[in-house]
Amino acid sequence: MIWKAIPTLFAGAGISLALVTSSVAVGMLLGVPIGVAHVYAARPVRAALWLFDRIFRGFPAIVLLFLAFFGIGGLPGIKISPFAAVVIALGLRSAAYQAQIYRGALEMVERGQVDAARAIGLSMLGTIRHVLLPQAARFSLPSLSNEYSVVLKDTALAFTVGVVDLMSRAKFLAMRSRELLTVYLLVAVFYFVLTHAGIALFRLAERRVAIPGMGQRQGRRTM
Amino acid sequence: MTPLASLIESIPELWSGLLVTLRLIAVSAPAGLAVGIVVGLAHVYGGRLVRGLAIAYQLTLRGVPLIVQLFILYYGLPRIGITMTPFVAATLGFTLCSGAYHSEYVRGAVLSIPDGQMDAGRAVGMSLARTVRHVILPQVFRKALPGCSNEIVYLIKYSSLAYLVTLVDLTGRGRLIAYESFRFLETFFVVGLIYLALVTLAASLLRLIERRLRVPM
Repeated sequence: MIWKAIPTLFAGAGISLALVTSSVAVGMLLGVPIGVAHVYAARPVRAALWLFDRIFRGFPAIVLLFLAFFGIGGLPGIKISPFAAVVIALGLRSAAYQAQIYRGALEMVERGQVDAARAIGLSMLGTIRHVLLPQAARFSLPSLSNEYSVVLKDTALAFTVGVVDLMSRAKFLAMRSRELLTVYLLVAVFYFVLTHAGIALFRLAERRVAIPGMGQRQGRRTM
Repeated sequence: MTPLASLIESIPELWSGLLVTLRLIAVSAPAGLAVGIVVGLAHVYGGRLVRGLAIAYQLTLRGVPLIVQLFILYYGLPRIGITMTPFVAATLGFTLCSGAYHSEYVRGAVLSIPDGQMDAGRAVGMSLARTVRHVILPQVFRKALPGCSNEIVYLIKYSSLAYLVTLVDLTGRGRLIAYESFRFLETFFVVGLIYLALVTLAASLLRLIERRLRVPM
């Protein structure tokens, strides 16, 4: 009975993957400019970003989910689908964390390189594009791999706002089959494979773009 | 009622939930650290079997969402006759999971200590266990502390998953209030702010301890 239900778990895993890729993508889209702003923006902008950072890194993921879905989604005239609420909450949260990753990566590139690039006549934008970004991107890859595994595990909370992801399918299956232990162990295997397969892919990418002798740094993590 | 007044009014109601959250953290933070030290040391000094078990433990608990682990403990294990109260299930889950993360910092700290210190300890006649206890561990503790502090901060935030195994913690109480009052936005914002306060307080306390224990180079 349970083994017949495995295809529905695969369908759920597809939704979980869609959640994690969308959230990490939103996090990157917003995280890169925010990370640059953390380092280079004017003081008032940095103060506003500090507030953003405190809220999205200081509130638990589940509270952010509730705020997005029940809080913002409950305001008159606003409708947010469960899927969108998760991507908004986890995406903004990931943006706050990714901004810290990029900030750290930018600060790892020695100041002298910017001066040198400017001295040989590169514009500031040219310096960012040809000198800073290629290095910062490599510095941040290990942390991004970590970020993927963190956000993937956070998407397991999406069922609390009604997304039919891997976890939600598992809960349904557990209730119907009454084989709770088997089902939850099975779903643990699913997440285990998704986490470690993703990390392996990132490691492959790291090796692909690695420059011999260039240092690397560590990232954040979660449960 | 103005939004601000309703914000302030909901704080006393959250109090009982906050106490549950604090109890969860007070038990699982030190217990998780203890598990992390044992697993981290086992990873470095264990024989082939012990080291394999330590690695499997780390990979498994770090590769599976905490909520799945909690569901296995609380809803799954009763199937084979192991039942526990929600509080025990939650603290056990938090302890085992954060222990897996702590152990990585502990392992890194152990590996950063020059081999010569172990050799020297053994050469003056101390056993392996004694050398670990008196030479290696005091340094490991200091070196692993920044990472472990971070881990404790994560634990505080993830303690919010306890409500999913029926505990009425800060998040659980917040949900009840929100559903009764239909004030989702304000209630969850206050709940979030309380977690933020806890996290900030814990982080500065831990930084104080780090500074206290620092060995001048």
